[in-house]
Amino acid sequence: VAVRIGIDIGGTFTDFVVADSHGVLSVWKEDSTPADPVRAVLHGLEAIAAQRGQDLAALMAQVELIVHGTTIATNTLIERTGPVAGLLCTAGFRDILHLRDGYKSERFNIRQPHPGELIPRSLRRPVQERISAAGEIITPLREADVAAAAAIFRAAGVNTVAVAFLWSVANPAHEVRAAEVLAQQLPGADVVCSHDVLPEMREWERTSAAAISAYVRPRLRGYLSRLEHELASRGLRRPPLIVQNNGGCSSIRELLSRPVYLVASGPAAAPAAARRSSAHLKAGTVIILEAGGTSTEVSTLRHGEPGVTRSAQVAGQPLGVAAVDVTSIGAGGGSIGWIDPGGALRVGPASAGAVPGPACYGQGGLAPTVTDAHVVLGTLAPDAFLAGRRALDRDRAVAAIRENLAVPLGTAPEVAAAGIINVLEANMVAAIREISVGRGIDPRQCVLAAGGGAGGLHATRVAGQLGIRTVVIPLQAGALCAFGMLVSDVRHEDVAPLFGQAGTLPADSVDALLAKMDQTAVARLAGEGFGEQQISVRHAHELTIPVPTGPLNAETAVADLTEAFHRAHAAAFSYARPDVEVEFLHWRVLSAGTQPEPESPAPHGESAALPTEIPDPVAHREIFHPVRREPVMTAVYQAADIAPGMDVTGPAVLQGATTTILLDEGDVLRARPHAYEIELSP
Amino acid sequence: MEATQGSAAWEPADPVTLSVLLHRLEGVVGEMVQTIEHTALSPLLSLCRDFSCALYDADCRQVCMGAGLPIHTASLNLVLRAIDRAFAGDIRDGDLFLCNDPQHGNTHIADLVAACPVFIAGRHAFWSVARGHQLDTGAADPSSITPTAENRWQEGMAIPPLRLGRDDTVRPDLLELYLANVRYREILHGDLLAMIGSIHTGRLRLREIAAEMSLAGLQRYADEVIGYADRRMAAEIAGMPDGTFHGVAWLDGNGLGDEDVPVRASVTISGDRVHVDYQGSSPQIRGGVNSGIGTAVAAGTCPVLYCVPADIPHNEGCLRHITVHAPAGTICNADFPASTSCATVAPGDVMQEAVNKALALAVPGRVLAGSSRAGNIPQFTGVDERTGREWSVMIFNNAGGGGASAATDGWPMFDSLSTSGGMRCAPVEQTELLFPVLFEWCEIEPGSMGFGQRLGGPGTRCSIRPVAGTMECILFGDGSRNPPHGVAGGTPAAGCISYVENHDGTGRRGYPACAHMWIGPGERWMGISTGGGGYGDPLLRPPDLVADDVRNELYDRATATGIFGVVLAGDGLTLATDLAATAAQREALGAARGAVPAVSPDRPAAGRWAEATEGGRAHRD
Repeated sequence: VAVRIGIDIGGTFTDFVVADSHGVLSVWKEDSTPADPVRAVLHGLEAIAAQRGQDLAALMAQVELIVHGTTIATNTLIERTGPVAGLLCTAGFRDILHLRDGYKSERFNIRQPHPGELIPRSLRRPVQERISAAGEIITPLREADVAAAAAIFRAAGVNTVAVAFLWSVANPAHEVRAAEVLAQQLPGADVVCSHDVLPEMREWERTSAAAISAYVRPRLRGYLSRLEHELASRGLRRPPLIVQNNGGCSSIRELLSRPVYLVASGPAAAPAAARRSSAHLKAGTVIILEAGGTSTEVSTLRHGEPGVTRSAQVAGQPLGVAAVDVTSIGAGGGSIGWIDPGGALRVGPASAGAVPGPACYGQGGLAPTVTDAHVVLGTLAPDAFLAGRRALDRDRAVAAIRENLAVPLGTAPEVAAAGIINVLEANMVAAIREISVGRGIDPRQCVLAAGGGAGGLHATRVAGQLGIRTVVIPLQAGALCAFGMLVSDVRHEDVAPLFGQAGTLPADSVDALLAKMDQTAVARLAGEGFGEQQISVRHAHELTIPVPTGPLNAETAVADLTEAFHRAHAAAFSYARPDVEVEFLHWRVLSAGTQPEPESPAPHGESAALPTEIPDPVAHREIFHPVRREPVMTAVYQAADIAPGMDVTGPAVLQGATTTILLDEGDVLRARPHAYEIELSP
Repeated sequence: MEATQGSAAWEPADPVTLSVLLHRLEGVVGEMVQTIEHTALSPLLSLCRDFSCALYDADCRQVCMGAGLPIHTASLNLVLRAIDRAFAGDIRDGDLFLCNDPQHGNTHIADLVAACPVFIAGRHAFWSVARGHQLDTGAADPSSITPTAENRWQEGMAIPPLRLGRDDTVRPDLLELYLANVRYREILHGDLLAMIGSIHTGRLRLREIAAEMSLAGLQRYADEVIGYADRRMAAEIAGMPDGTFHGVAWLDGNGLGDEDVPVRASVTISGDRVHVDYQGSSPQIRGGVNSGIGTAVAAGTCPVLYCVPADIPHNEGCLRHITVHAPAGTICNADFPASTSCATVAPGDVMQEAVNKALALAVPGRVLAGSSRAGNIPQFTGVDERTGREWSVMIFNNAGGGGASAATDGWPMFDSLSTSGGMRCAPVEQTELLFPVLFEWCEIEPGSMGFGQRLGGPGTRCSIRPVAGTMECILFGDGSRNPPHGVAGGTPAAGCISYVENHDGTGRRGYPACAHMWIGPGERWMGISTGGGGYGDPLLRPPDLVADDVRNELYDRATATGIFGVVLAGDGLTLATDLAATAAQREALGAARGAVPAVSPDRPAAGRWAEATEGGRAHRD
């Protein structure tokens, strides 16, 4: 038996999803241990082994792969708990990190604070040197400046340094030499060069990517080395893989060479989970809605690839590198409903959190939350939450909503509760519009995949408002990212500059560049244990222009690329300007090492899954419909009773241990091996 | 509020539908903004975001405004009303209108407004509007902002309300008339298409919303959205003290000999209304640094918007609480045919500063200290001697700092009050790749900011030289002789300056904020921008923050001791505060000084560089 495990560390729970060659997929939730996250990982693995009737050593002997997601680097950035770091920069350009791109996002908020920098001005040390856009040396590197900076770093206790010079992307010689001098003068220090981390034009993003990498690397290395060591000492044969910003995973060694690729990886594995669950639907775009306790994240999967952005920031610091494009709203199950000074009903961003929690938890919370609204409406049954592990107090939920919302609005608690749900769902719809319509995607052609504890409660109505007809809810919806990790490929992106206009760009230099990048990418994946059959390489432009792999046809290559660009521009922005000459800036190589699919737990496909008689509902109860504003008698099913091939027709509620699914009248849910699939009533 | 059709208007508004539509309309305008940002060709729009988008109802009442540039947002309705009047009775589905004419309520000639009516079910229900700064206006000088323009005809081609297209088809001859009169026609054509794409996006989305909730429902709740802003704005202003408060600020000049030109603002708060009056301001002056009514209304309104929560929608319901009077014939509302080419920045910024100073007396805890007034934003042009190609670029990397507030230190790169940090600057590397210039320096200028409990945002020093032949430089702006003010004991900032010199530092020639110069192959342009003003008493800044500031070389030790009253021991990284000596020094400074001024300075020409620019005449090489 070969076992694979995905492990996602969150603030409250550490989620585990386990697959083995018999196809058994199980979910385990362990309380997180923020002070030492490795502990929760080890505890969880022991619990899983016990569940399987093994000891840990026996389980580890069967584990062929662990894929892990960690927010330790993200938290280091957000909480500013990294070590004192230094920066070497071109003399005269000491404030690139402070001056940013000059953009203040909230023009009318005069109290908006500046996001600050990871490296203070006193430790941003100038070095005489200058390289031109063409890569020529205008001012040679003054090594004495590097030595002087090293002396300051030593005195300040700096042991991790970023080196980021102007135009190092056109000629890295000065960065390389400065790093060598630093290595001599500051032995043992971590040094990150900007051209290694992000070889792209745009000094702010590149400097920031290097600074982030220098800032998070010491803590990240400490954590990952310990994790690797603890797992190896318990018998894990292959070091764990780590999920990156782009949704793919990577070896620990590669990640530690450019840690910025990890700092936005929190929700990055969700698209991979959606890909697995929706592959058979052949949808062009899948929109992923992950609704948690305090926030809801929306991302996309386009033709099997996660939608990515290159303008992501964490704690106000730009990453520059590709990250899964996520739109976040500060509203989830614990979010509080309130009436603003102008009389509009709002939900979030304030949250009741885990303590005191929603009013219905009976732990002292008095504020009306989304969870309370669900209890008042009847969507959540007081005795069936988390499979009955937590009883909910309906009276407290009603009181919280009555006193804070219904009385001031002059309405019934059910109507006020419906208002909370409607506002929350409108915010979810707006977030989905932003990431679909705002990126040139028509949501009506998309499939919606929902996960997180609250995803199934809102998915069908949110889909309905967007004109989406099909909703998919993975069986592991409650641990969506951990499941995504299990099915993520190893993915890397390399980029190199080669500037030129369409009229003058020589195809052979493009060829030479891409060939060299391909070799680097393939060698890296081979080093990570992938065979030739598992490695794939692609070339792309910002607008995702396919560039053929293999030698370009010198006669027509540039013209073909230009034409492809104009086509993609028209598709994305509704018009093209073929009369304007296209400029080429960067060339990207995307490489992937494909993981074998986990075995299907049951025969897959229509023919094998014979329609089965569905069991009787365990109960019927009235649920107040938030749009129609009237109670609807609704059938209640236990998710465990619904096997692949069974259909459930709404109005109905499917109650699972970690997620609840709500169906409106006419919605039809079909259980499949990996997921529930819902066709909305037209 | 007028009753909308049907009995629905008699039912109380549903707070859920209201909340949902508030977000939904913001989403529509957000999409309009994205369309321009992603598709415009000039960096001025695509990168610097010098544009704004908005939705209006059929009565030209602002329903939703995107978070654009502040100076754009408060008076756009004046242009739309001019278009509406000009074509009253002949507005059809599929029409496309343009206007850039300050005679018709526009801010200044460089801001082109594009508008289309939104017909739903055969009825004209809304307007979708975008305003964007165009890279060129066909003026005599190669700049869209020309301080030396002596009249309307020298500042470029005026476009009074014009129907550019019908049935969603642009009239090619009219388009050609426009493009034939401007430089960089390729780029301007692209920017116009981006703006048209934006307003058509707004139109499409409004139709979708109407299809979902019915036209009557949409109109009803558009009214409610206006009513919502009205209620919140009324409550905010009612919480301010009643009275009339006065502020005076000085425009550096016009580069043609006029200097330290006063702008006066009286701000009267009465109940839930604010009235701004520019009575007593200087008569109009020569050059392009006068304002028309469009900029005057916006400049009077924006400072009030900064004093209230930023989430109040800037629609008709909010804006109706603020009225502005700008006497004709003054620099704030110049008579035809005076030029208003620079209006949004000069005198737009100094007009806002006068209002801000008055508000600092009324609601000191809610105001921003003085901020950079659009100095040091050079437009360089030239012919690349290697290729013979004409080039032009506006550089924002030397933008000045923003003022401090009661809560926070100021931001760098704030640019101007009119933009409030809403513009992006291009990366140095991108500018060097696309244009024949080399940046030699771009870094915080120590001591350029105002001091206080909160520091003003820093100015920068920026040095640029041409690498392929001589380049021409047009500077417009303000704030060299008359720096951003401090509030509640905060000190003023330094003011800005620029000069041209040889590579070896000899032959230096200083220039005022408005100037026109040439930089030869052996020379460099050097700009030192101003920081923002300080907020609060410097003696209240925590000593450890002062030590950090000195360690970070934001100002020197003499300033720490003499202004902040903080005595430091040690040096470099070992720098530490001497708490006992600091307490004594602060007590001595406080006793010698007495009460701190509410606003400083109270006189013209208080800038560090005032003497260097004496005479105010633009150098012509």
